Amino acid sequence: MFGGIGPEGQRRLGQAHVVCLGCGALGSVAANTLARAGIGRLTIVDRDVVEESNLQRQVLFDEDDVRDALPKAVAAERRLRRVNSQIDVRGLVADAHHANIEALIAGADLVIDGADNFETRFLLNDACVKHGIPWIYGACIGSYGLSMVVIPGETPCLRCVVEGAPPPGLTPTCDTSGVIGPVVNMIASIQCAEALKLLTGQAHLVNRDMVTVDVWDARVQRMKVHALRDLGACPCCSHRRFEHLAAEHASQTTTLCGRNSVQISFPDDHTIDFDAVSARLAAVGRVQRNAFLLRCAIDTYDVTVFRDGRAIVEGTREPSVARSVYAKYIGI
Amino acid sequence: MTYLDNAATTFPKPRTVHDAASTFMQTLGANPGRGGHRLAAGASRMVEATRLALARFVNAGSTPERVVFAHNGTDALNMAIKGLVHAWHRDGRTHVVPHVVTSVLEHNSVSRPLEQLAADGVIALTRVDCDADGYLSPGVVAAAMTPATRLVALTHCSNVLGTVQPIAEIGAKVRERGGDAVFLVDAAQTIGVEPIDVEAAQVDVLAFPGHKALMGYPGTGGLYVAPRVELAPWREGGTGGDSKHPVQPGEYPHRLEGGTHNTIGIASLKAGLGFIAATGLDAIRQHETRLVSRLLDGLAAVPGVTIHGPRTAQRRVATVAFSVKGYASQDVGAILDTSFDIAVRPGLHCAPYCHQAIGTYPDGAVRASLGYFTTDADVDALADAIAQVAAAS
Repeated sequence: MFGGIGPEGQRRLGQAHVVCLGCGALGSVAANTLARAGIGRLTIVDRDVVEESNLQRQVLFDEDDVRDALPKAVAAERRLRRVNSQIDVRGLVADAHHANIEALIAGADLVIDGADNFETRFLLNDACVKHGIPWIYGACIGSYGLSMVVIPGETPCLRCVVEGAPPPGLTPTCDTSGVIGPVVNMIASIQCAEALKLLTGQAHLVNRDMVTVDVWDARVQRMKVHALRDLGACPCCSHRRFEHLAAEHASQTTTLCGRNSVQISFPDDHTIDFDAVSARLAAVGRVQRNAFLLRCAIDTYDVTVFRDGRAIVEGTREPSVARSVYAKYIGI
Repeated sequence: MTYLDNAATTFPKPRTVHDAASTFMQTLGANPGRGGHRLAAGASRMVEATRLALARFVNAGSTPERVVFAHNGTDALNMAIKGLVHAWHRDGRTHVVPHVVTSVLEHNSVSRPLEQLAADGVIALTRVDCDADGYLSPGVVAAAMTPATRLVALTHCSNVLGTVQPIAEIGAKVRERGGDAVFLVDAAQTIGVEPIDVEAAQVDVLAFPGHKALMGYPGTGGLYVAPRVELAPWREGGTGGDSKHPVQPGEYPHRLEGGTHNTIGIASLKAGLGFIAATGLDAIRQHETRLVSRLLDGLAAVPGVTIHGPRTAQRRVATVAFSVKGYASQDVGAILDTSFDIAVRPGLHCAPYCHQAIGTYPDGAVRASLGYFTTDADVDALADAIAQVAAAS
């Protein structure tokens, strides 16, 4: 047995409850690692269905899951129960939003960030700081990834480091720009290693810097962030104003009457860069555009994006599906 | 922002409306009719003065107590429709299923309660068609009535097409044909723009919102119930006086006004009525007629635009529904908002049968609805934007 954990540490892991919020690339590597590490209770939250393009990096799923169109949370639960029958694994098919996030993480000792968008991460940050639950930020794109541990009250929170979510349509996404398995595995592994330290009561060993990795350049860096907390200006962890939980910055979805479609819109003023968005979308579907809108057929959806970033996703009446399509292909 | 969604609610409201609401809440904000103290009495006076002004506004000034406050047009319509059904059950004349006539032009606030009652077997429902321009024919309405018809529920004006219906002619036909059939009119799109005379049009029940052309705040509305109509209360509760009564008192307006009034809203509505009186209903109507004429001309000149309903400014309010070739209505609405800062309403406008009738179901249409504060420049901005959008298709 690894001395850093030891029998006492293993016993503690068996009593721990971890929530994986999002079970895509990072989430499936993390859930797999944590289940095998003997985390007593693992809750896996995801809103999506397994698709063929996921298999290149999302290690918990296979072609049968694609064929059966299984929700990722269900497929992950089934797989991990076969991996470790001694732990309690629960998959929740759910779209995390301001109304349910606190219930989703209630009672957790730690949350692993496997979200595919900033809106959910800021929400998670608010909820975790509010309830004093550590969470571990992780994100990847291309060959690059980063991770940071947030221990409320001890380390900077996400809002100490990044003031707010980037405007819609600005960030490249894995589904338009690609991501390779090695960086996913590295970042999720870093998240899990830090999780194991925290869950075995060794917070003093946790790396409190932000770690960035580029596996293509074989470069790993640590960025000091601890000073950011001391500025005392963070609305979230210094002033305990949970603006994301209060839905002040939340995207809104409206199921449009008459059409099989959902509109997703954002409260803050943005102007989207049609050139950049259409260049990214060209990788997944045919893009048509004029001065006022941009359309792209993606899978079974027709997505129309307007100048302020709002979009109409045709082909569904489910807000969670529209949010997922937006996060994957336009980016929030 | 160019606001062209006045059919949903008027914006902006006159300054005097905000002043009146604010003054009321800061000086008299007590519960009207509850307790005899000075503030309650003052609040009561304000409420009763508004009731009287509303009654006079629709020519029911001799029976102001028959005008009751509601929370919006939908609330008033539900009070009317469900109140009638309840009263029919009480009077025991339901051995023949009561028959109701309505039209394809109705808003869901009429259609949905009636459809549910029909689905529950409580009423039999006939929905009459409109003509190609979106007008109802008095003859067609009368022909749809049967000996079992107890209610004719029609809109005064299509909220999609803006077509003002000949309610006086329909009212006369209903009375002639129907005996005790109740003529219910939904005046959501006309009150405050078109003259309404419940006597002359033989309207038995008139439902209206207070927040559209009447310029009051959202959360206001009203219902006029003619003395010949028996309506059971749909909402029961405290009325201030008569507390010992085990059930809702029979006298109007208390019969239909259980619960605390929306006094801030009623104060705003009073000021809205004052604004209309000072401006003149004719002047308001003429302004909107002139503007809608300008808009119709502007849109008709754009290749690829289809105007739904009549092309003329007569017999209509300043609401225009149209489609732009190459775009879904929702896309046009989003483009106008995001690229031109113009607010319109795309979709089905809570009136699915109307869109079926004009062939725009299920995509719907773009609706621009003008108001008293709309300017020539606003109308031109819309026509110009639509020209650019149509050209880019």
